[in-house]
Amino acid sequence: MPRYRVFSHTADVGIVAEGATVEEAFENAAFGMFDLVFDLSGVPATEAVEVEAAGETPGELLVAWLSALLAEAEIRGLALCRFRVEMLPGGRLRGSAAGSASAARELRGPPVKAVTYHDLAVGEVPGGWEARVIFDV
Amino acid sequence: MDFQRTGEVTWELAAEGGMRVPGRVFASASLFAKAEADRALQQVANVAHLPGIVGASFAMPDIHWGYGFPIGGVAATDVAAGGVVSPGGVGFDICCGVRLLASALTEEEFRRHRCEIMGELDARIPRGLGKGAVAGKRLLDDVLERGAAAAVDAGFGGPADLERCEERGTSAGADPGAISARALERGGGQLGSLGAGNHFLEIQVVDRVVDPEAAAAFGLAPGMVTLMIHCGSRGLGHQVCTDYLADMGRAMGRHGISVPDRQLACVPVRSKEGEGYLRAMATAANFAWANRHLLAHTAREAVAAALGTSVAKVGMGLVFDVAHNLAKVEEHLVGKHSRRLCVHRKGATRAFGPGHPALPPDLRPVGQPVLVPGSMGTASWVLRGVADNPAFATAAHGAGRLMSRSTAKKTRDGREVMRDLEAEGIAVRPGSVSLLAEEAPFAYKDVDEVVDVCARAGLAAPVARLRPIGVVKG
Repeated sequence: MPRYRVFSHTADVGIVAEGATVEEAFENAAFGMFDLVFDLSGVPATEAVEVEAAGETPGELLVAWLSALLAEAEIRGLALCRFRVEMLPGGRLRGSAAGSASAARELRGPPVKAVTYHDLAVGEVPGGWEARVIFDV
Repeated sequence: MDFQRTGEVTWELAAEGGMRVPGRVFASASLFAKAEADRALQQVANVAHLPGIVGASFAMPDIHWGYGFPIGGVAATDVAAGGVVSPGGVGFDICCGVRLLASALTEEEFRRHRCEIMGELDARIPRGLGKGAVAGKRLLDDVLERGAAAAVDAGFGGPADLERCEERGTSAGADPGAISARALERGGGQLGSLGAGNHFLEIQVVDRVVDPEAAAAFGLAPGMVTLMIHCGSRGLGHQVCTDYLADMGRAMGRHGISVPDRQLACVPVRSKEGEGYLRAMATAANFAWANRHLLAHTAREAVAAALGTSVAKVGMGLVFDVAHNLAKVEEHLVGKHSRRLCVHRKGATRAFGPGHPALPPDLRPVGQPVLVPGSMGTASWVLRGVADNPAFATAAHGAGRLMSRSTAKKTRDGREVMRDLEAEGIAVRPGSVSLLAEEAPFAYKDVDEVVDVCARAGLAAPVARLRPIGVVKG
């Protein structure tokens, strides 16, 4: 099963990521966000990133998680390819990611500017969890 | 959506449910049909829910589906009546906009030196994921406070560049303390860079002048080579919007506000959170004004180097610089009364008419230049602001996307698009060939039709048409 699928948006790019657990859906959404921009199949996981995020709803938490990764990746010049999420009580999560330098990589999609709340959805579906999110590109 | 055609190029949705004002779209029948194809019209209705909104929730002829606001959306809220500011109504790319320079070159001269000019621009214009060409903490700090004026004082360009820039290149009320350390870390090093996506630097030629008097005032003449830059506040602006949107979800609850889309989160302009956002927005806007200014400076040096001459000899003076993602407090008539309104323009351009005091004296008799870039490979337009604009002095900002990025890529790949453009005599220097397909001309609406509707709706009047002859893309 693909880790995410792209859905059509006129100006920007939306994805739906699935997972057996909410953690896995969040990890796959992060994978999708970077895979839209870089071909992650050729990216080694040599540098690690740790982030924490909080949100009052699962949707807010998803945006906070993805936004934290996006900022970290841009600041450190990384294409991130591996993700791990640990849910904590109180609408928080601790996450880790790994990847390597992005500067010399061919872009296969426009860089993601930000994670939007428009049309955002995180919920249980038969067989697991689904996260739907639109990126501003 | 029950929009009724109320005029030749006007469509109206009566206020219903929680809408505080009607929705009003300026479009021809064919452009309106395109807007109906996605969710843009629902977004026009959603914006009409904003507290304090006056007049209508407007959409320009290049309307398309955005996030929160439609692209091409305009909302003005009455500051004294609890009117709100919505970071989503400005967008992540705060103060994204367009800058036009007029060179002393003719098309024939450009063609003769095409390889050298395109080569120098290709080598010197930072784009894609790369950092900017201009570094230094002292300059950055000053830019955040004073925008393009700081860059001029640091020796980049000259005072004439400020005269012809919206807000004279400096947004008032900036406070670098209002933006996060993370925003600075993320975008600070990107000053003087183009970015990627739909941002570009384009060489054009003036191929038609329809208003000679205004064209002369703007410094444009038939056959003149121009250079257009489209970009914004890069990672710094993206992070400012991200930070404030996250906080505004909670703040909205404190102010008892609810909106139909979380992305429309907003707070009263006159609130601690609203004032904080506007200070941060102005700071990011200053970064954007300076960013386009510095890119123009790099482009002037590139063209001069390619021709083996001086910057002074290639001309390339500023025609104008406009923002198309910004919220501004402006005075407008609502009914018979002048009100202070917070005007959100999300993918829409301010278009002050003749006589407006904010215009430089030499442009005041004709109105503000309005820059409407077409898609890569198609024409762009220069318009002028007109009196009695029906949408709080606003006009379109571009051709407007028609096709999703994935569909565009399936239609033709980047190499094919590059060949198509070269076959039309347009030199292309892409940062990434594969990204070209997403920005192909067929992915956008017809800019001539958008401009025609602007004219018929009384939003702005056409002045000159610019035909592309060279493109530098991220």
